[in-house]
Parts: sequence; structure tokens; C-alpha cells
Amino acid sequence: MARVWGEADVDAIDSGNEMNAKACEHNAASPANHFGHALMKAALGLPLALPLALPLGLGVTVQARADSAPDKALVSFKYLDYLDSQPGFDRIRVKAPSVLIVKPLSSEWSVSSTYTADAISGASPAFHTQALKTMHDERHALDVSATRYLSLGTRTFGGSYSKEADYLSRGLFYAMTESDESKNSTWNAGVSISSDQINPTNHVVMNETKQSYAVIMGLTQVFNMNHIAQFQLGHYSGKGDYSDPYKVFDNRPRERVNNTFTARWNHYMPNSESTLKMGYRYYEDDWGIRAHTWDAEWVKPVGNGWTLSPSLRLYTQTAADFFINADTSGSPFPPFPTPGSTYYSEDQRMSGYGAHTYGLKVSKYLDADTWVDLKIEQYQQRGSWKLLGSGSTGMDAFLAKSIQVGLSHYF
Amino acid sequence: MVYYRFIEFDVFLVSIKCLKRMDIPLKLIFKQSTVLLTLWLCSCAITPVEPWQKGNLAKPEMTFEGDTLDKNFTEHTYFSKEGAFGGSGVGGGGCGCN
Repeated sequence: MARVWGEADVDAIDSGNEMNAKACEHNAASPANHFGHALMKAALGLPLALPLALPLGLGVTVQARADSAPDKALVSFKYLDYLDSQPGFDRIRVKAPSVLIVKPLSSEWSVSSTYTADAISGASPAFHTQALKTMHDERHALDVSATRYLSLGTRTFGGSYSKEADYLSRGLFYAMTESDESKNSTWNAGVSISSDQINPTNHVVMNETKQSYAVIMGLTQVFNMNHIAQFQLGHYSGKGDYSDPYKVFDNRPRERVNNTFTARWNHYMPNSESTLKMGYRYYEDDWGIRAHTWDAEWVKPVGNGWTLSPSLRLYTQTAADFFINADTSGSPFPPFPTPGSTYYSEDQRMSGYGAHTYGLKVSKYLDADTWVDLKIEQYQQRGSWKLLGSGSTGMDAFLAKSIQVGLSHYF
Repeated sequence: MVYYRFIEFDVFLVSIKCLKRMDIPLKLIFKQSTVLLTLWLCSCAITPVEPWQKGNLAKPEMTFEGDTLDKNFTEHTYFSKEGAFGGSGVGGGGCGCN
């Protein structure tokens, strides 16, 4: 595969059909990437035109343009079915169809859009893992962005819109990448702002707002022919109503600031012709939450266009400073906040716990431009799984299962 | 040479004291230094790669972006179930799920 760049120029002249087969094989390695793939390849100076132009089978020289928009448009559909539960009770179910369209406008510009409709129903605890109250909602989310491809980088700007019965969020973002001449080092930076309006259906508060911004900067570095890593620093700052209006005793600070450090590492293993993808994220915020996330995925093409990708994710977080521990002595009533305390929450998400996710993704190329995929995941949270110290006690374990099916096509 | 080491150590201690007095977040500086040191150590392991040697790096699974819709679903789910969020990029709509 080390000669792919050269092969593109030579084989495209000699045999279009052979190239077509190669492109199919190349794509079949993992159909999981499309728009981001093009962006990243552009940033890295990789032979972008290779997998995209080859299925045409034309007997012309393929000029491997490193910094241009994708040659083909992509449409991708996905359907998510998600159900979470605690022992004895189902909680929230989400059914979410989603669509992605990426369309090149010229060699310099492409546009991209995603639309998701979530149908949410089920029950959510009023405090800790008790007093489940039924709820249902619908969410419609639309993201639109445009990317410009330069000789040594990309510029992307876009907007996002998300609407629920009780929550409206509107945002704008701008992101850029810039590479050195060799394209082995790529710097990236991005900024986003968001303005949200909150109108809970129980009218606990009315016309509340939340304003936030986030910045991120990082470096993607090629280490050698088989290793690439990415390091990113992120910062988020927001003001407004962060309390959960559907929980009892929930009054959170009206400000939130967090910092993240993320490292990701991809390693291609030529012997097994597979890829190991690993990641780590450190998170800290001014609510007292510190979290570590480790994830790993092994992508293994198994022939005939099939790819298997088992994955594992480990997560641990400390409780927020204002989290009130579960205390069943006063059951069925929730424990009262400490007298005089300004902030308090009995939300399971603010507790100290650990979580494990196991997943398996299977994908299959139907032809050079079309693939289907299926992903199943199981996620579990427990107080006793918290690492580096003991977690919050007195709450039930939390379990979530999800299945995603997808169909994608280049045209 | 030994004297020089002593002076160097002394300068280091005085600097720390000054920084403490000036109320500069030492913890943050140390953390960022650790990150920079890690990056610097990593940079020692870099072998320049020419464009024609990027066949394996060109594979879709070797990129960091991944499957956009899969990533959207996954991040949205974790955002609604966990205390920590962010760190992977900018953009994407907020929601009332957390």
C-alpha cells in the first residue's frame, strides 16, 4: 500500500478496470468515513482523488489533487434505536432517523448538512434513581456547513439549529486547518458560539437562556508510515440556566467553564492488515467534575467488502461539588440539601461513577460506492466502577443499549 | 560547576516564590508544561514520511473524523448521560437533554 500514490498515476492510464477493483478494495477497508475523511486527507496531503475518482474507470491520468473538495457527493442515512434502563424499569427510549449530505460545489468548495429527528419517550427519575416520571419529546436538529480547500489547509464555517418542545439552541462555528509543506504536521483551531432558550413544560422557569462559547486547538502529527496522532486542547465557557427543571432539589451554578485535553492515536498493523484506534480525554470543570475517558477500536477488514470493528470505552468521573448523595433513610422522600447551601443537585449525571461501553460495528460494501453498516453498543454506569477513589453510593446501576443501521452512497 | 548548580536551583526556588506571590496558577502552568513535555518527547519519535509513503495513512480508518452520523449519535448520547462533554471539535447543536 506504500505505493498507492504512484499506482494512481500509472494504473489509471494502464487499466481503468483494475483500478476500479483496487478502489473498491481500498474503500472496503472501512466505509466509516466520508466527509471527514476528505477533509483529513486534504489536510494530510494524501491522494484524495484516488478512491473517489477511480470508480469512474476512465483511462485518463488521475491527477492526485491533495487540497480539493471531494470529487463525489455523498448521501448517508442512519437510524438509531436507543433504550436505557435501571434494574426493573425501562427509562428513556430514543428513535432517531438521521441523514447526511456532502456536496462538492467545485474543486475549492464543498457544502455539508445533517438532519436528525429524535423521538424521545419513557421515564426519567425525579432524583437519584427514584421517582420515575413519564415524559416524551421530539427534537429536530439541523447542521449546515461550507468548507473551502486551500493549498495547505481548509476553512469551514457553519451553523446549527436544534428545537425541542422546551428547548431551542442556535449556534455558529468556524474551524480551520493549516499544514506544513510536507503535510506531516497539521494544526487546527476552531471556535463556536451557542445561544439557547429554555421553556420547560412544567413552567418552573420561563424564557430562561444560556449563552456559551467553545474554542479548540490542536496538532495532528504523522509519526511514521503506520502511526498518526492528534492532540487537542479545548475550552468551554457558558452562562445561564444549567439547572434541570424536571428534577427536585436541582439548583446549579449559572456559570460553567471546562477544559479538555484529548489525545488520539491510530496505528496501522501491516501484518494483520488492521487498524488500532485509541483515544484519551482528560476533562475538568469548575463544578468539581474531573473525568478520564479511554477508548479503543480495532478495525479489521475480513474480505469481500466486510469489516468488523469491536470497540471498548472506559469512563470515570468525580461527583460535582454540589451533588447530594443518595440516602434512602427518608424514602420515599429525597434527601434535603444542606441548610444554607446555594447549589445542589440529585441528578445521577452529577454523581461520581464509572462507565463501560462495549460495541461492535459490522459494515459491508455492496459496490464501490455503496455500503451498509450495523452497530450495536451496550453502556453501563455504576458508582462502584469509579476509578481513583470511591464513587457515589445508593443508586441503581444504569444500563443503555443501542443499535444503529446505516446506508451510504457516493454519487 | 557545582556552584553554578546551586545558583540555578536557587533561581528556580525564587522564581516559584515570585509566581506564588503574583497569584499565578502554578498548577495550570505545571499541567501545561507536562503536556508540552509529552509533545516534545513524542516529537523525538517522528520519522518524516514522504507523500508516496502514505498508503497506509490514506486508509479511511486511519483518519480521526470517522463516520459523521455515528459520531453525532454517540456524542449526543454521552452528552445526555455523563457529566463531562466536549474536546473533539466545535459545532453541533446543543439540546435540553442534559
